[in-house]
Amino acid sequence: MRTRPGPWLAAPTALFLLAFFAMPLLIVSWYSLMPPRTFSMLGAPTLANYAAAFSDGYEKPLLWSMLGATLTTLICALMAWPTAKILHAHAGRAASIITALIALPIFISESVRLFGFSMFLLPRGGILAGSLNAWFDIQIGSILNTRLAALLGMIYVYFPFMLFPLLLGVSLIPEDRLEAARDLGAGRWALFREIELPLAAPGLMIGALLTFVLCLGANAEAAILGGRAVTVISAAIEQRFSYAQDWPMGAALTVIVILVTAAVVWPVLRRVDLNRIIQR
Amino acid sequence: MATVTPEGGTAVPALSLQEITRRFGALTAVDAVTLDIAEGEFFTIVGPSGSGKSTLVRLLAGLEVPTAGTLLLRGEDITRQPANQRPTAMVFQSLALFDHRSVGQNIEFAMKMKGVAPPARRERALELLSLLRLPRDYYDRAVTQCSGGERQRVAMARALASDPEILFFDEPLSALDYRLRKTLEVELKELHQRTGKTFIYITHSLEEAMVMSDRIAIMQDGRFVQVGTPQDIYQRPRNRFVAGFMGEVNILEIRGRGESARFAGLDLPAPEVAGAYAVLRPEALQAGDGGSVRFDADIVQRLMLGSRTQYHLRVGDLALIAEIGAGVGNLMEPGQRTRFSFDPDDIAWVAE
Repeated sequence: MRTRPGPWLAAPTALFLLAFFAMPLLIVSWYSLMPPRTFSMLGAPTLANYAAAFSDGYEKPLLWSMLGATLTTLICALMAWPTAKILHAHAGRAASIITALIALPIFISESVRLFGFSMFLLPRGGILAGSLNAWFDIQIGSILNTRLAALLGMIYVYFPFMLFPLLLGVSLIPEDRLEAARDLGAGRWALFREIELPLAAPGLMIGALLTFVLCLGANAEAAILGGRAVTVISAAIEQRFSYAQDWPMGAALTVIVILVTAAVVWPVLRRVDLNRIIQR
Repeated sequence: MATVTPEGGTAVPALSLQEITRRFGALTAVDAVTLDIAEGEFFTIVGPSGSGKSTLVRLLAGLEVPTAGTLLLRGEDITRQPANQRPTAMVFQSLALFDHRSVGQNIEFAMKMKGVAPPARRERALELLSLLRLPRDYYDRAVTQCSGGERQRVAMARALASDPEILFFDEPLSALDYRLRKTLEVELKELHQRTGKTFIYITHSLEEAMVMSDRIAIMQDGRFVQVGTPQDIYQRPRNRFVAGFMGEVNILEIRGRGESARFAGLDLPAPEVAGAYAVLRPEALQAGDGGSVRFDADIVQRLMLGSRTQYHLRVGDLALIAEIGAGVGNLMEPGQRTRFSFDPDDIAWVAE
């Protein structure tokens, strides 16, 4: 008798996910219930770490991360919409070159790019301030080591993650629907609200999710560009695990971030039909 | 610009095209077309693909801007008016229904754009559903759940909902199967009569145009070759292109220019135009000696078309097609040599 090959073929992937995805999650979740500043997994479960998370000032880094992620997502969406529309409308050689220029930096290490950005923003001898001074005799200050610099860095790094799904979304809008809406009296704004936005929504939502989730976990922008102006949640978590040697606290913060992420991601994914996007 | 109405009065045309031209680079898609369309007329533009008919209707709807020329709607210049400000509506070839909206929302779209209150919109949408013979409960149905014919009706209802002065149709029936197309052709004609609106219809099928239209324009290479009633076009095609467009017709090339032309042993009356082609409709040929031009032909092929029977004939080098109504005379067998005839009055003479 022949056995069905499906489960056997799925087994390696399933085992891999079980060992390296489910297990770490379980361990982290379990650790978050251990007594503070212990390294044993055999302690009595307690919610002390979660209580501390909301009383010891950890809500601030969490809120900074969420605010940063939200702002970055919104600004990236606002910038990506016209970019995607233009790239789609003028598809061809020039558009391909621009697309490549936006995509290429993804292949360069994020830290390298951020240090480059920081050299650009450096006061006095930095690329921007130095050039302005040398050529036009204009002296400017610098936004380096501020929250604004961290935000600009995130927009710079995560823009492609918004743009490319949105480009796909914009390409889902058939030209004849736009013409029909115009023919029926739709102006620019109505066209956007009634036709373009709903039809491009799957791409927009995927882009927004990617950007938001990546930003929530982002650390390097705040560290390299933001200086000590802002502590984000991932920095706080890292500190708990390394410098503070308080694994249960780090684990509890991690679980909170996972829950926040899930609360955002889950409702969106339920509404987006990924198959429809992929089939196009 | 006024035209004389059948009643003898004068009226401003619903739509007046003056030297309308559209060029795309070196290509002239629409070449200085001039035309008046009367109020309430069902006007059809027929042409093969690439003739410029779709570009022309897009120019009329405001989806394209003409390179040159003027467009008047009831005497008012609308040449530069964008589509969303024109009091016209179009039924697209693809229908272009908003799949992310319900049937009701599709129909109400134009009213929503005008700022009509929701209850009034709903009332009008339900009215249109019944005008288009769709059940009222389709109001909340998803467009994607409708059949091909139903989608067609939704598209028409949506276009009518804006209460347009003129309705454009860009080959809306071309994707449907034959039976549904025939049904909708009749419904469209009825819709035209019931609404009394001016309909401008684009199709590549002269047959479809004949069924519905008050007047037909035949388009070729961006120009109108002939404009006339279906009767005119059918009986007096202006040139070989128009004649050939009507489907299966006999087009005889007449080389002589004498008192009477002879062709493949047939005596034909003197052509009315020089260098002419004689266009002879298949049903003008009859079996027997009924007509004054008589000849013997070999029957090569017999095709049963239902209401009529088609015979492919050979007279010397000449291939002819004859169609005889079902029930007229006896069926003739292929291989048989038979006497056929026709009336010279049935010939339409056309130049190249």
